[in-house]
Amino acid sequence: MLTPAITLSASLSRDTRTGKALHMKKNRVLAVVAAVAIATSSFVAFAPSASAACSGKLKIAYQGPLTGPEAALGINELNGVKFALKKFLDTNKSANVDPVVYEVDDQGDPAVAGPIAPKVAAEECVVALVGPAYSGASKVSLPIYLSAGLPIITPSATNPTLPTFGKTIFHRAVLTDDYQGPAAARLITSHVKNAAVFLVNDASDYAVGLQKTVDITLAGRVAGKDVTPTGTTDFSATIAKIKKSKANAVFYSGYFSQAAVFVKQLRDSGSKIVFASGDGTLDNQFVKLARKAAEGALLTAPAIPFETASPKLAAEMVKAGWTPGVYTTESFDAANFFLEAIKAGNTDRASINKYVSTKSSKGLSKTLKFDADGEVSGADVNGFVIKNGKIVLLGAIKA
Amino acid sequence: MDFALLHDAFWGLTFDGIALGAIYALISLGYTLVYGVLRLINFAHSEVFMIGTFAALVAASGIMGVKVEDDPRTGVKMVLTLLVCLIAAMLASAITAVLVEIVAYRRLRQRGATKLATLISAIGVSISLVEAFRIMTHSLPREFPRIMDKTFLFSYAGADIRNDKVIVIIAAGIMMFALERFISKSRLGKGIRAVSMDENTATLMGVNINRVITVTFFAGGLMAGAAAFFYILVYENTSFKVGFFLGISAFTAAVLGGIGNLKGALFGGFALGLMETWSSAVFGTAWKAVISFIILVLVLLIKPTGLFGESIQQARV
Repeated sequence: MLTPAITLSASLSRDTRTGKALHMKKNRVLAVVAAVAIATSSFVAFAPSASAACSGKLKIAYQGPLTGPEAALGINELNGVKFALKKFLDTNKSANVDPVVYEVDDQGDPAVAGPIAPKVAAEECVVALVGPAYSGASKVSLPIYLSAGLPIITPSATNPTLPTFGKTIFHRAVLTDDYQGPAAARLITSHVKNAAVFLVNDASDYAVGLQKTVDITLAGRVAGKDVTPTGTTDFSATIAKIKKSKANAVFYSGYFSQAAVFVKQLRDSGSKIVFASGDGTLDNQFVKLARKAAEGALLTAPAIPFETASPKLAAEMVKAGWTPGVYTTESFDAANFFLEAIKAGNTDRASINKYVSTKSSKGLSKTLKFDADGEVSGADVNGFVIKNGKIVLLGAIKA
Repeated sequence: MDFALLHDAFWGLTFDGIALGAIYALISLGYTLVYGVLRLINFAHSEVFMIGTFAALVAASGIMGVKVEDDPRTGVKMVLTLLVCLIAAMLASAITAVLVEIVAYRRLRQRGATKLATLISAIGVSISLVEAFRIMTHSLPREFPRIMDKTFLFSYAGADIRNDKVIVIIAAGIMMFALERFISKSRLGKGIRAVSMDENTATLMGVNINRVITVTFFAGGLMAGAAAFFYILVYENTSFKVGFFLGISAFTAAVLGGIGNLKGALFGGFALGLMETWSSAVFGTAWKAVISFIILVLVLLIKPTGLFGESIQQARV
């Protein structure tokens, strides 16, 4: 970040010394403008058309964080897609589907997702995509997939505004934060007498959206708020605020790697108030990083653990070498819906999109049937608690 | 804006700010030392720090056999474990810093390359190290085992004074004092000051430039390693990108105090730590970087060379 500023100021100071240098600078600026123009035009040329045909095997893509601090979640989901694909090809040996999942690693970061989405859209054999996993990355990817007609089912991006970005190609296999937030608020109030809740979010799209709905449901029970952007390592001031607010619970809206750092510092400060968080924190990595500080944490997710949904399939999956985790079930269901569409004779993006938009699929987590906005109905938000270093399912959170 | 919080929790926030500032100050010494001698920003210094945190981690589990799920240690065993981790972090960082100098800067310097070439080389080393660690750690953060139980020593005006932060502040103070003595009293320290004043004259006076530069990087690395150990002792986790934010903060601290100036780096580190913590309390944590940089810009507007002036000799350390 610092370099361009330094180089720029260096070249500017040199240019002001002589007119000749300034002339050279103009040329250089022209050259840069030309280079940018060429780069942009090639980028536009790179943007795919919806009608491109695939000459080889059809590919199912998965998009989510496969590297980076949030990779654990992406790998859970990718494992679900891989397992669904394996099961499908075991029974449909002649199917014209690539046995390898087309992996798109956006690191859960909108800045990474932006440049790679056009490349995915340009791969004509990619006919369906499970993901993107995160809401922020979805917002930049969806308009590109929309223009390429690539159907998507996200297993975990829960920001309520996403249908406006993906329109006809958007489908979501879980309930949105509009449901998760109120459920999280109810989970806290049912566990904490006279709850006074302090709200903290990490400034990501997901976290801000989720916190908003928690905030509305808790209404008068919110004791205070703070925003700790991703990358914050020292939470002293936030903790001082929490203590002063006399809150007896804190809801952290964000992802597990920072949630672990936060809850540790909260406990080290001597605070014993209830810690609650959403599905971004529901990950074994959270327990591993925060250890004792994670004990008793209340978590929510519009998801159901694979082991709970089907112990038999879970055992089979582990045997095949893939460990199920949060959102594995929903990813498995999403991939299966696409595979059913292909089995029914749909081989291009448009017909697969039509199939998943209009038909239904009986999944492990629920029956997937999307409404006009691509939203699923008849699902639950589940509550979890961390007990003895394990994530324990409390069951569906009642309205 | 919540000035009431700053008022009510002032001493607690100040104590936390000083502990954070001590870590910033230790890292910023490395930036300032190298700048003082070479007039070069060592962009790889944040990764020198990052490697220190991983060295402490490896020393704890590899040499001292601490497991993540273990209970905190006590007595002599605890002190020994802490010391081994500290020394490992300091040595690993110091050796990394020296290697960075030899690989990325020395040849360019001897060939008379421009400052820009050296700067790009520094950024290249920084990115290579970050990516290497990202791949080796599978991009995941790593937890540091709790070696010392965290307890409150006493309470002052509503501030709970915690043992680990007290250790950080005292130990950082001792290190800064030792570095200051080394620079002002020792033969090599005098060499560093001589080169920072005038490289050519120092060479004519018989100062071995390469040796001075190696020592400068080594000393800066030792301080960054100490900062790495203190960081991991307090925050108990690290990742490949840990150096990025801390590196920018420490670099800011160095500029605030006057880059190239040891006292400036110390003052800048503590000032930035306090500013961040206080402004987080008043304006909210999201605003701390905004406030800190506004103050930095204001200081530079009034005093462009930083609070204490720009070079080692100006401060007459």
